[in-house]
Amino acid sequence: MAAAATCGAGAGSPGSVAAAVDRSSATSFQRKGPRAGGADGGGPRLVSIAGTRPSVRNGQLLVSTGLPALDQLLGGGLAVGTVLLIEEDKYNIYSPLLFKYFLAEGIVSGHTLLVASAREHPAGILQELPAPLLDDSYEKEFDEDGCNHKTPDSSMKMKIAWRYQLLPKMEAGPVSSSRFGHYYDTSKKIPQELLRTAKWHGFFLPERISPPLTVEPCHLTHGYMKLLEFIKKIVSEEGVDGSHPQKKTKNILRIGIQSLGSPLWGDDACCAEACDDSHSLTKFLYVLRGLVRASLSACLVTVPAHLIQNKAITARVTSLSDTVVGLESFVGSERETNPLYKDYHGLIHIRQIPRLNNLICDESDVKDLAFKLKRKLFTIETGL
Amino acid sequence: MPRPVHWSRRGRDAIRARLSGRGQQSEMLESLLAFGGLVLLRDSIEWEGRDFLKALIKQSALCGEQIHVLGCEISEEEFREGFDSNINSRVVYHDLFRDPLNWSKNEAFPRGPLEALRAMCRPTDLRPVTIALDSLSWLLLHFPCSTVCQTLHALCRQGDSSPVERVNVLGLLHEELHAAGPLGALSSLAQIEVTLDGTMGRTSAHILYRKPRHRPAHQVDPTAHLTFNLRLSKKERETRDSLTLPFQFSSEKQQALLCSEPSQASSHIFYEPDAYDDLDPEDPDDDLDI
Repeated sequence: MAAAATCGAGAGSPGSVAAAVDRSSATSFQRKGPRAGGADGGGPRLVSIAGTRPSVRNGQLLVSTGLPALDQLLGGGLAVGTVLLIEEDKYNIYSPLLFKYFLAEGIVSGHTLLVASAREHPAGILQELPAPLLDDSYEKEFDEDGCNHKTPDSSMKMKIAWRYQLLPKMEAGPVSSSRFGHYYDTSKKIPQELLRTAKWHGFFLPERISPPLTVEPCHLTHGYMKLLEFIKKIVSEEGVDGSHPQKKTKNILRIGIQSLGSPLWGDDACCAEACDDSHSLTKFLYVLRGLVRASLSACLVTVPAHLIQNKAITARVTSLSDTVVGLESFVGSERETNPLYKDYHGLIHIRQIPRLNNLICDESDVKDLAFKLKRKLFTIETGL
Repeated sequence: MPRPVHWSRRGRDAIRARLSGRGQQSEMLESLLAFGGLVLLRDSIEWEGRDFLKALIKQSALCGEQIHVLGCEISEEEFREGFDSNINSRVVYHDLFRDPLNWSKNEAFPRGPLEALRAMCRPTDLRPVTIALDSLSWLLLHFPCSTVCQTLHALCRQGDSSPVERVNVLGLLHEELHAAGPLGALSSLAQIEVTLDGTMGRTSAHILYRKPRHRPAHQVDPTAHLTFNLRLSKKERETRDSLTLPFQFSSEKQQALLCSEPSQASSHIFYEPDAYDDLDPEDPDDDLDI
């Protein structure tokens, strides 16, 4: 799907050639008119799905990760058909936030979601998504304060800072009116009406497999097998793998898998260095990437990489994913007291960027990236 | 003199508090039990944790909870030593010590201790339940780590589905028996991690709070138990509000200044200071109007 999108973007209008066959005219080439409704005219054209845009560098179809700062570092966004792996920070504070941003972006853009977790129920995760900062809600807030501005006497009198009484109350914050990449307010929950319109499928591991009555260590891949079957089923149900060609409206499926490789999935990668089935995590990622490549989906997986005992598995996991981002938070580490880092909450390491239909990848030269989480903004800054 | 320790509710995600001595013991224990979820007690051979575990059990018995103990390492009589009768009545002891491999074929654990643990937490009454595991090390030695983690997670989750009650799971873990893998895996599951340590005969506990997903069931009030008063009574609040501050303008002057803001002065003075001029545009005596 990723390659087809590239083809569609770069080729221009091969559809017009096909259209010319039916009509008799002086030349066999016809100028393709402006796409008003786009109803007729066959041939590949750029898929115009909500919440996506083509990359300016290589024409890949991109979706936003939910964090405009991270999108910029990844070269515009996450390419459709790829897997983004996030290495969790030590106390698991910021990686659930990135996970939630990804899902919230899917809801705001109207994509279908698939949420898989062994720790929390997907419905619970969706209830806790941050609220988007959209244009209309910002203006509504401003209007309410504008009414107060007209009657300064009746408004709340400030005792000490009275000179500021007449100034309008403005919330200075980032507001994005674009259709790609939104900002979120982490102190508010996503409005219920937005959640109700969202289409999502959840996979909660304790509900899908019964607790093991006989304790057998070889059942490690059991949870993973179930998850892969579920993903395959949803991919074909939603038609994102092109299995329903008559379906005109295409949509992206966003897959979010939380804490893959943790013992809650039944995987021993975090518990022992040489476990019996040490290949289950790597096999899972291999099959997952195949499923995702062949469909219009984008996947975000968080892995507690600091817990994985065998470093060979970490290296394999990195090479089996497309984009790998590592989070390192300063909480509880000795870097917390380092004066260089006092404004920031942690470091971000971009460990790998994929080469999709390219010979080189878009690696930025800046290697020290630090992030800071404010209520409405997650900034990533460079060059400490 | 031990300082009072303040626990923040939101904002700080993981803080470490070091306490030594018995000064704020009961409030510390109470705050450990406030959140629910897994409390991991890591001890070692020099600093034994069983007494701490028993203190936590006593504290939850005082709060009226029912306690189930899975005893694997010491006998029931030895465990119940030091508990008075009303605490003993609340403690239900499941004995794995006398017959760990079930040779006598009794029906105490028909499908294994892990299944018995899950059954413990399907409650018939609505009282909050505390489950004490003595010890997690025994379970880790007999069952695979991932299975133990999944069982513990299922236990902690029982408390989430019904918000009326709260399930506390207290697990005693002997650090020296395990490699970094299982220790890290259990730490990532725990809501609170207490590591027992000490110097020169005094035990100290390092408490690590992971970010709680919900607010604690009963809020720990940091302004209680202090030697000075941080609260304001209603009368005190009123007197504070009616206090006139120094350099506070009368309301007429305030309105005059506020209303004149939009209209600019009609004349401007252009002045270029030379190198030796020390211009301070603020004359501090200019706008005093008391």
